[in-house]
Amino acid sequence: MYIGVDVGGTYTDAVLLEKNQIKASAKAPSGKNLLSSILEAIDKVLQGVDPGRLKRIVFSTTMITNLIAERKYDPVALLLIPGPGLSYTYYQFNTFTRILTGTIDYRGRETVSLKEREVEAALDEIADQGFKKVCVIGKFSPRNTSHEKRLAMLVKEKYPDWEVELGHLAGGQLNFPRRVVTTYLTAATRESFHHFLNLVRQSLAERQITAEALILKADGGTLPMENSDKIPVETIFSGPAASTLGALALTSPGETAVIADIGGTTTDLALILNGQPLLSAKGARIEGQLTQVRTLAVKSVPIGGDSVLERMGNEIIIHGKRMGPAYCMGGPVPTPTDALRVLGLTTLGDQNRAAEAMAILGERNGSRVIAEKILNLVVDGISSQINKMFQEWELEPAYRVWEILQKRKVRPSTVVGVGGGANGLVDRIAEKLGCRSIIPPYAAVANAVGAAVAKTTLQLSLRADTERGSYLLQEEGFEGKIDSKQFNEKQALDILRERLIRMAARHGLDVKPEQLEVTHQEVFNMVRDWQTKGRLIDITVQTPRGITGRIEAGGQEG
Amino acid sequence: MRCKQTGLIFFPAFDWAISPTHPEREERLLYTRDQIFEEGIIDLPQIAEFTPQLASIHDIARTHFCVPQVESQTTEAHLIAAGAAITLADQIVAGLIDNGFALVRPPGHHAMRVVHGNRGFCNINNEAVMVEYLRSRHGLKRVAIIDTDVHHGDGTQDIFWHDPDVLFISFHQDGRTLYPGTGFIYELGGPCAYARTINIPLPPGTTDDSLLYIVDNLILPVLEEFRPDFIVNSAGQDNHYTDPLGSMRITAQGYARLTEKLRPDLAVLEGGYAIETALPYVNMAIILALAGLDYSNVREPDFWPGRFKETSQRTEQLKRLVDGLLKHWKNRDTTLTGRGKTVNGYYEREKLIFYDTDYIEEHQTEKLRICSNCTGYLSIESEVSHGFGQAGKVLCLSVPFGACSKCRNEAADLYTGAKKSVVYNYIYLQDKSSDYLLGYDTKAGKEWRP
Repeated sequence: MYIGVDVGGTYTDAVLLEKNQIKASAKAPSGKNLLSSILEAIDKVLQGVDPGRLKRIVFSTTMITNLIAERKYDPVALLLIPGPGLSYTYYQFNTFTRILTGTIDYRGRETVSLKEREVEAALDEIADQGFKKVCVIGKFSPRNTSHEKRLAMLVKEKYPDWEVELGHLAGGQLNFPRRVVTTYLTAATRESFHHFLNLVRQSLAERQITAEALILKADGGTLPMENSDKIPVETIFSGPAASTLGALALTSPGETAVIADIGGTTTDLALILNGQPLLSAKGARIEGQLTQVRTLAVKSVPIGGDSVLERMGNEIIIHGKRMGPAYCMGGPVPTPTDALRVLGLTTLGDQNRAAEAMAILGERNGSRVIAEKILNLVVDGISSQINKMFQEWELEPAYRVWEILQKRKVRPSTVVGVGGGANGLVDRIAEKLGCRSIIPPYAAVANAVGAAVAKTTLQLSLRADTERGSYLLQEEGFEGKIDSKQFNEKQALDILRERLIRMAARHGLDVKPEQLEVTHQEVFNMVRDWQTKGRLIDITVQTPRGITGRIEAGGQEG
Repeated sequence: MRCKQTGLIFFPAFDWAISPTHPEREERLLYTRDQIFEEGIIDLPQIAEFTPQLASIHDIARTHFCVPQVESQTTEAHLIAAGAAITLADQIVAGLIDNGFALVRPPGHHAMRVVHGNRGFCNINNEAVMVEYLRSRHGLKRVAIIDTDVHHGDGTQDIFWHDPDVLFISFHQDGRTLYPGTGFIYELGGPCAYARTINIPLPPGTTDDSLLYIVDNLILPVLEEFRPDFIVNSAGQDNHYTDPLGSMRITAQGYARLTEKLRPDLAVLEGGYAIETALPYVNMAIILALAGLDYSNVREPDFWPGRFKETSQRTEQLKRLVDGLLKHWKNRDTTLTGRGKTVNGYYEREKLIFYDTDYIEEHQTEKLRICSNCTGYLSIESEVSHGFGQAGKVLCLSVPFGACSKCRNEAADLYTGAKKSVVYNYIYLQDKSSDYLLGYDTKAGKEWRP
């Protein structure tokens, strides 16, 4: 049995799955105290069930999102080693920052060494300011970790009680400013996140729940709770990931589809390309700051069932805000839900009040006419954003000839509607896009279903430079020697497979070598003076992404 | 606060090479990619990244005579590189971005009007294709192309030689010391476009200071008077002091200042083969300079200020060079002779062209109709010999933008007449004034419209 819990802004949802069937689902209002909402939802779905039968419980939580939004995190000082390049005036990290001497180049060669004297002086300043958390981030540190590691040692020698966060571990992609922000947010939120996870674990223990507990990440993968406090920022924005996975679990495999999660205030859009949720090309933007956190490509459109409608001259305008429930449900202003009610596309609320809402918008004798008009407005708004999303995906830069040539004309075949506002709207959106529409059963708790079926995914990247005679395993920060000039992709893949399987085993994941997927592979011959001097090999392998299974019909809608 | 952005297309063609160990290979922009990505400059609000469209066959045929056809001289990579320049140019002309940099491979500035193969790593002239696209589609009148590659931009020069509306200025390492061995001060354009081609051969070892002297005292004043609608920079990076092919001493800072002074609408990458020691830094510096960002912290690992000093002798030499060229520029409208002869109203010259990459020798007879109503149509008879014997003759007829009806008709008649000829294998008509293009295979008796 699995439990999925999704902590949303308004509600905390939970579902109980058994053999791909939903056995129970529950909603609890999300209060100030996240923990009590979570426990309330879990207790509801577990009624009459022996907790010993639970195998795993997966959480999608806004904990880190809230923490960062409310700036309730710990003060962190930054030690940066940017070397030459972009002027430092463009680095605005809004915290105590010291720039240190030292340069690593794109190949991972040290071109300027650290000045330890200078480091000491910087540490004294940080100590004077009262910081106990320090991030050490170097430009090109994923290509050579030595400066960051050496600095961390110097910090630990002088201030053993400080926490030090290393850039190459928090942000292993190439992008120094994003690495800084990612490392900073990791350091800032770790302690609170750790504390929160401990509380969750304790509460589970009190309920005799011994099932494996996992946290959902923004890219739709999960991590065991014991490991997830290493990378707290990766749990940010797991809500949209949860609803995407949920919709995936509730529909048939292999499709190219749009998932429209139509809520009260917003519609969240996600793309499924050939059965796989599309990842965003760049990392997440968190509170305006760009990070390296991998997320699903999700677009939030400010149109929902409860959006405020207003008449301006002859036009009707949709405002990107909610002032309460729909007019037909006792709300203060006309909304798209009222239009749906008038057209008989929903049974929510009161028919007469819905007609009244149309009258407020100025159409006294033909409320159906204006309701149609509103519906078209909403459908146009959402479908044009869907088209835009596909266009944006097509326009994502590509750096190879074949990528540019094959990246054309992919359009969805299906629109999957989840969320409260999906009924009545999704059919029309699909019609507009020339797709078929699906509103799966349990669409209202798709988020929690998504959390329940999320898979643990791990990835490992290797970069080898045969001329320099070394390779680096990014996620582990491990540097190895290459003895032979003949080192090739096959050997690199062998190393990756072996280490990733071991890593997976540590995470309680049973993966066979043939299941591992190569997600990135790049090999360049280094030619100097018409001679091949070595090879640059970049490979990333991943355990299978996706979901543990698809939900079969049956059970009860809660 | 500037509101418009600098558009960037980064297309390193990581899966295209002339041959595995050729300088123009997959690895060329790898370290540039690493540097640009690591610096995070694509995330800056001043930069907007675009994905290239492919240039169409028609776009290529509007500029080039590809023998036998465009498809046989281009790969998709070429269409993407030229398409990248077009994509950015469209954005700039529409006023959506401030300026742009097409950081693309393969390069193009050695590709001439007639294309039998690859010359100097180039098949298709990305800048010329883009410029002719802009004139045809957006009606641009006057364009300036500033070629800052260490090699003479002989392809671009050839394409615009007779065109008074396209100013072509190239500075480069003296042709007596470097491929392609042309670009001397006396190469000043055809009879109707005198001094609209300006060549500035520089002695090996030229430094930032001398280069900027030329920009300030020659290029900028000429640009000021020419008043172009659009400025293109053929941005070769092989003047860098570490370049393996060139012998100049220009730094990343020098390139940034050059870019800042030229203020091109669009820069298009050309050569530059110091893929580790120069390209990451020079490309970064150019992007920052275009975007109006502070580039003062960009520097090569082995550079220190004051490393390269100019000799007073060289400074004097350059001053004389600049003064001489300015004199030609001043007399541009009163001088009507190019090198070659004018017989019965037709200006004629012979050309020998060597394709270093593909080992082809081409012989051309170029004939320009001297016309009082337009710049005159051009006919080119081109004959090539590959290493393995004669490959025959082709006839290329090019009618310029704004051509008069007499020139248009005469060229069209020549084309029709030549279809019955046994002398030519292929005949081409390229009417830029109406964007009407034709090709004819005399052996097969087949006509096509590219």
